[in-house]
Amino acid sequence: MPDRIITLCYRKIIDISATRPWEKLVFDDTYQEFWMQAQLYNQERRFRSFGELLQHAPGAEQLHFLVSAAARGYLQQLNGVVPDIVNNLGKHFLTFSKFQFEIINSDLLDKSRHQVAINFYADPLVWHETIDNFLLVSAKTEAVGEVLTHLMQLQPYLSIYSLQTPE
Amino acid sequence: MERKNFLKSLFVGAISAPAVLAACSEDEAAAVTPSTGTSTGTGGTGTSGSCTVAPTETIGPFPTKVPASYVRSDITDGRTGYKMTAKITITNTSNSCAALAGVLVDIWHCDAEGNYSEYGGTGMQSTNYTNVHFLRGRQTTDANGLVTFTSIFPGWYSGRATHIHVHIYAANGTSLKVTQIAFPEGTGTAVAAVNGYSKGLSGYTYNKSDNVFSDDTAGAEIATVTGSTTAGFELVMNIGVAA
Repeated sequence: MPDRIITLCYRKIIDISATRPWEKLVFDDTYQEFWMQAQLYNQERRFRSFGELLQHAPGAEQLHFLVSAAARGYLQQLNGVVPDIVNNLGKHFLTFSKFQFEIINSDLLDKSRHQVAINFYADPLVWHETIDNFLLVSAKTEAVGEVLTHLMQLQPYLSIYSLQTPE
Repeated sequence: MERKNFLKSLFVGAISAPAVLAACSEDEAAAVTPSTGTSTGTGGTGTSGSCTVAPTETIGPFPTKVPASYVRSDITDGRTGYKMTAKITITNTSNSCAALAGVLVDIWHCDAEGNYSEYGGTGMQSTNYTNVHFLRGRQTTDANGLVTFTSIFPGWYSGRATHIHVHIYAANGTSLKVTQIAFPEGTGTAVAAVNGYSKGLSGYTYNKSDNVFSDDTAGAEIATVTGSTTAGFELVMNIGVAA
């Protein structure tokens, strides 16, 4: 099998159970922004959940984009490193420059129901081999000869987003 | 405890595998899943797949609180057009129209071509592409109830007169008013001078035909706009809210 180029997507879910400072900041600030911006689509105050807004309030799907502004500054603080995902040596190695913010659930009256996800789209990797439930990957370079690799375990909320087989 | 919480957050949905977690924490120095090989029998990513090496790195980064990317006075974000400074004063109609300090004012409008920054949230955003929320801004009113934004003169799109959206919030984020600012029309006005940028004004919707402004016969929603295409424009508007 020839080496293939893959991009990984890690979907990081942040909710009321967040414990680390970065996650708590994202949780608090995206809830506050949701709470503020949702009023635009809820001027008669008929709805309380994000689901109700999506179903009944025209344009409420724009809240994903509008609330993402509250998460943006925190994403920049990651300095391009995908959080949580480590190689088998315990080091963060995945880099990203693209993300997608989504509101999963929220509730104007109950912050504990607020749940968001940040999808990190990692920079392309070369997939050399699959060893048990590990992928042997390396950063995509033009270098020839020896390449430095990472052994990375398959895990929940991590998926291969795209695949490219060199001609 | 701290480690347990950390593992919780790492494993997200796989927390219902206490046996695996226990197995991992028995030996922190070698917190690596032993080769599962055929022992899982599933051939897929069974529970063993959630047992990964914990990060063992220098602590950090250290997050700091940052405001939403709307909080800025210059909302141009590289959009080209004639410079426009918008000075909006918020007054309290429940208090003899006294200046309302400390309230949040959001504004957003379209670019010279008539497009808003992306809607829908279905697309990816790039961390390098900082102007994804172009022509959207948030400021807090000063002691005189004033906020000032630097932007470009808005373009127009089919069915609407030139306008700026405004959402005013109390300091705690409670919505006080959602409204729009209209522009004066006719000879000598900024709308005439800008002439719809490259589109021209053919097919333009004037205030009297606009579905938002047509009922504003007194012109209460129309701002004062001065200046020129060379010097830039200045928009001045007072908005009264009951706070």
